[in-house]
Amino acid sequence: MLILSLNMKVMKIKKIVSVLTFLLAISFVNGQELLDLLDKEHKDSLSFAEATFKYSRITYGHSVQTRKSGTLDVSANIRFWNTPEERSQSFFVDRLNTRFALEYGISDRLLLGVGGSTFDERFDGFIKYKLLRQGVNSGSPVTISLFQNVSYFDDMLPYSSPGMMLSNRFSFTSQVLIAKKITSDFSLQISPTFVHRGLVFNENDPQNHFAIGFGGRYKLGGHVSLVSEYYYVANPITSFDTYGPFSLGINWELSDVMLQFMLTNAVSIVEDAFITQTRNNFNFKNPNLNFGFNFTYTIHFKNKLKGKR
Amino acid sequence: MHKFILVIIISFLSIQKNSEKIIARQGNVSFFSYTPVENIKAENNQVLSIVDLETNEIAVSILMNAFVFEKALMREHFNESYIESDIYPKATFEGKIIDFDPNIEGVQTRMVKGNFTMHGSHKELEIKVKIEKKNNVFAISGSFEAVVEDYNIKIPPLLRGNIAKIINVDFKFEYEGYEN
Repeated sequence: MLILSLNMKVMKIKKIVSVLTFLLAISFVNGQELLDLLDKEHKDSLSFAEATFKYSRITYGHSVQTRKSGTLDVSANIRFWNTPEERSQSFFVDRLNTRFALEYGISDRLLLGVGGSTFDERFDGFIKYKLLRQGVNSGSPVTISLFQNVSYFDDMLPYSSPGMMLSNRFSFTSQVLIAKKITSDFSLQISPTFVHRGLVFNENDPQNHFAIGFGGRYKLGGHVSLVSEYYYVANPITSFDTYGPFSLGINWELSDVMLQFMLTNAVSIVEDAFITQTRNNFNFKNPNLNFGFNFTYTIHFKNKLKGKR
Repeated sequence: MHKFILVIIISFLSIQKNSEKIIARQGNVSFFSYTPVENIKAENNQVLSIVDLETNEIAVSILMNAFVFEKALMREHFNESYIESDIYPKATFEGKIIDFDPNIEGVQTRMVKGNFTMHGSHKELEIKVKIEKKNNVFAISGSFEAVVEDYNIKIPPLLRGNIAKIINVDFKFEYEGYEN
């Protein structure tokens, strides 16, 4: 009897001790990191990869990037190059192509733009829509944008040429831009492209071209990144030699100003022209080497803080 | 002996019961940078904060990419070039409200002491806060100054004039009961 009651007592104490340790453990857990509790609260917020590229163009070709709603980009894209003549008396450089452009973000996903080039007298307008946004932890693995451009070739043509018909002067470029921000420093883009050229001077030349573009960005510092781009044309023009446009450049941001410097073989700044009609390969001889410069000033028409409070 | 253990258990239980937490899910944090070149202002209305009313511990977690700026480009630069929110998505604060008595109705001014982490850098902070209790609802507000240099944020020499060396930070949290 005595032994039994003693045994019971021991068991009771054991039970109490175990309960006690359990409670102790609970109170310990309770006093645990409050930040962990907040981390759990954060989880359901979905966010997207920002700034896969810094501007709507990588160098000369379009990137997946659209601009935020209510921002207007005023830009001047300039290409300088020399003619192969041994002696030339031009001031500064022999040739110059300048495209002035305005681009406006209707929404965070929709960008409209117009521009005009001086050298090849092409006027162009484009629309770009960001279809899919790359998620940060979950969601889509890539960003996809759709791009459509129309360009009007305004240069003088001989009377008998097919270009006398107005409808022949329009060219169209459609692109599916697919990009991935692989790390916070490195982004890559692949852009399947379809080009319909309005003016075809030689009957053997195709009117429709298929091309694929490759682009990349590597962030060198907070404000500077290295960019490069190349387009491969599957069915190029046959009546004269053309080469894929290549570029190597630096993007430099200074608050509202974006500066893009590049070395390229592309003379034109309008899609249908630089993809299918780049006549020189990329090397360091004249007139192949172009020095390119894009200057963009961003004006904000929407104060995002307004109406927040 | 048994009574003693019972007392301990009860005291534990009572601690459990008292260990009440309150959370703010839509806390407001804003900061200002005033320079002769430009003024930068940003607001974040999704800041999380939790307070343990028993231990007087407080924690705050701020998602950096949730800050809204006047200009869209400022937000991109803030996340991309300065705060690097890809790598450091959050700023956090962990600390203790000194001499805080949750039972006092009305306003009390207390010091909060703790560790603030932003852009991978830690900094010990002591912040004066105003704690208001009204109908069992707590609100904490206050402000402090953050020295940009302390957080290893790189500003290119050309833009030094655009960003203040000391940034004013204001915060206001309104709490509700927290259930696990």
